[in-house]
Amino acid sequence: MIHMALGVIPQLIKNLFSRPMTVAFPHEAIPIPEGYRGEHTYDVDRCTSCTLCARICPNRAIEMIEAPAERQETYPKTYPQIDLGKCCFCGLCQDICSSGALSLTKGFFLSTTDRLASVRFPFPTDDEM
Amino acid sequence: MAGVNSEQQRAELLEVTGLRFAVEPHVAADGTMWISAEHERLPELLAFLRHNGFAHCSAISVTDWPEDGEFELTYHLWSYEDKILVTVKSRIDREEATAASVISLWGPSAGIHERELHELFGVSFEGNPDLAPLFLEDWEGPPPFRKDFDWRAYVREAFYEEGNSREQSYWD
Amino acid sequence: MSKATGTEHMAKGHRAVDGYDLYFGPVHPGSGNFGVKLTVEGERVVAARSDPGYLHRGFEKLMEYRTPMQNAVLSDRLCILESLNWNLVHAEAVDRLCGAEIPRRAKCIRVIMAELSRIQSHIIWYGVLSKALGFDTGFKVAFGYRDYVLDLFEFVTGGRVYPAGYLCPGGVRRDFPDGTKKRIEDLLVTMEKMVLEFEAYDSRTMAARCHGVGVLALDDALRLGATGPVLRACGLAADVRRDAPYEIYDELDFDIPIREEGDALARSIIRRREIGASITIIRQVLDRLPAETLPPIKPKVAVKIPEGEVYVRNEIARGEAAVYMRSTGEAQPYRCKIRGPDLLHMIPVLEHLLVGAEVADVPAIYWSLNICPADMDR
Repeated sequence: MIHMALGVIPQLIKNLFSRPMTVAFPHEAIPIPEGYRGEHTYDVDRCTSCTLCARICPNRAIEMIEAPAERQETYPKTYPQIDLGKCCFCGLCQDICSSGALSLTKGFFLSTTDRLASVRFPFPTDDEM
Repeated sequence: MAGVNSEQQRAELLEVTGLRFAVEPHVAADGTMWISAEHERLPELLAFLRHNGFAHCSAISVTDWPEDGEFELTYHLWSYEDKILVTVKSRIDREEATAASVISLWGPSAGIHERELHELFGVSFEGNPDLAPLFLEDWEGPPPFRKDFDWRAYVREAFYEEGNSREQSYWD
Repeated sequence: MSKATGTEHMAKGHRAVDGYDLYFGPVHPGSGNFGVKLTVEGERVVAARSDPGYLHRGFEKLMEYRTPMQNAVLSDRLCILESLNWNLVHAEAVDRLCGAEIPRRAKCIRVIMAELSRIQSHIIWYGVLSKALGFDTGFKVAFGYRDYVLDLFEFVTGGRVYPAGYLCPGGVRRDFPDGTKKRIEDLLVTMEKMVLEFEAYDSRTMAARCHGVGVLALDDALRLGATGPVLRACGLAADVRRDAPYEIYDELDFDIPIREEGDALARSIIRRREIGASITIIRQVLDRLPAETLPPIKPKVAVKIPEGEVYVRNEIARGEAAVYMRSTGEAQPYRCKIRGPDLLHMIPVLEHLLVGAEVADVPAIYWSLNICPADMDR
């Protein structure tokens, strides 16, 4: 009732002495919890090419492709290429992966001006080696 | 789930509807009642239910059975007093898809569902004055929610390019 | 003040203007992605025609091509403002078709998350209503408090706004992480503080702009298909959680705020009280939470749904949501009809309420119905 009688003055005084809710990102940050569904991480050496990730993806963001010619001896089967533009980051591929090769990390800085950068190739490129 | 009172009313309703309309309603495990009716007796049955407390038309839906050549209309009705959910199902012909509108029983709350079904399935509801297009604008193709409308082919043709490497996965 | 129409006023040789069409939306900062075409004479609306379809994605058809786990991920997007509630309706439909026994802990988690999503949805409503009425501080404060709820969602489900089918057929995708119970309890204390702050702000301006505006009589509400807070503001005590309880709602003791006036202020008061009711529900469920741990649900590519049909109703923040699912024994549902409360609120109810209103009252009426174009268009 006092609130209604004095209007917003009590709240105003309270506000003068309290911290705003705003978190001044990037100088401060709220820690990202474990289990956050961010960017994918993929270990080609643990992959068994079961193709379950490509089949469970609701958006067909995962396509099984063959290895480049020079690696086909070590990697003879097909491996998942993930198009982050189509991905909805649901994590079904992570849950279904039978060998633990594919999982989601806490990375969320995915904005880019290069269209092809959002297609994640399963093999490291030469300059990443 | 439902109280004893509801059980009793449900049993009574079952008996009365069954006897009067020669239908066989059955009660599912979760307490909902399902009635399949012949299309000719459908308006009478729905009016009977409306006047026996089923004031809320929760939804009207159409299921497409192309092999049988039929559409199955489902009316989902709820009674606020007796707390019973009844679904009435009826089949109509797919080519000549017409049904009587229930707008006189439930008003615009049923009328809006009929308008949506008219646009998406092509069912005409006689007696509904407003069957104007609802969601789609300038749509000239067949009713899109029918099972024989190949929406993937339409989307591929209208929006995607086969030459684009990122759209390859849509060509199966 | 004379109520001369445009024609009489312009009779002195000016071009006669009877009325004109005013588009409220879709390209309007205060309308969401939905438009209403108002025919206006002076300051008064004489006719209104809703223009839906800007967010039509063909959900019902999309769901026919996906398996239940994939549909669970898709069901967030039925209305992103209350995604967990829609996850729950879909999950219940598939569970009833499969005859699955859900563990009690999963049911408790489902109720907690659904109620948190309801609180979050009402916070958004409060913020957007404030913004539409010009009270920008209310908008900023509401969305600031909403962020605390979203932080909890991020902790539990992995995503702030999109829980990716966290409430899925079979239970929940993964159990609560350690420390969730304490975090929820702290969050509820913050929410109670927030409710007091909303009450403090709400005294004069909001009440004056919403009082007596957009009055809906009970028989009109039933005829036009209103459900949820819109119907409860007209005096009918109808709530699916009480009338046809699902999950563990039959064991819980909670208030269902009812008002008689049927105007925008009544709807606003009900939604604010519902935040308090949800807080009570969550506290009761936290007390009843069993101690067992749930294994995470592993999605399967080809799991068939048994043949049958089911119609499941839930009470979401906006009203009554339902899913009619018909399966013929395949892995994908044969037909999945989605009934959202907003198809009724945004077309018949809105068109009825806007007739005779003044243009300045249009945002108050519009947002007091708490519309969401996403579950209307699907």
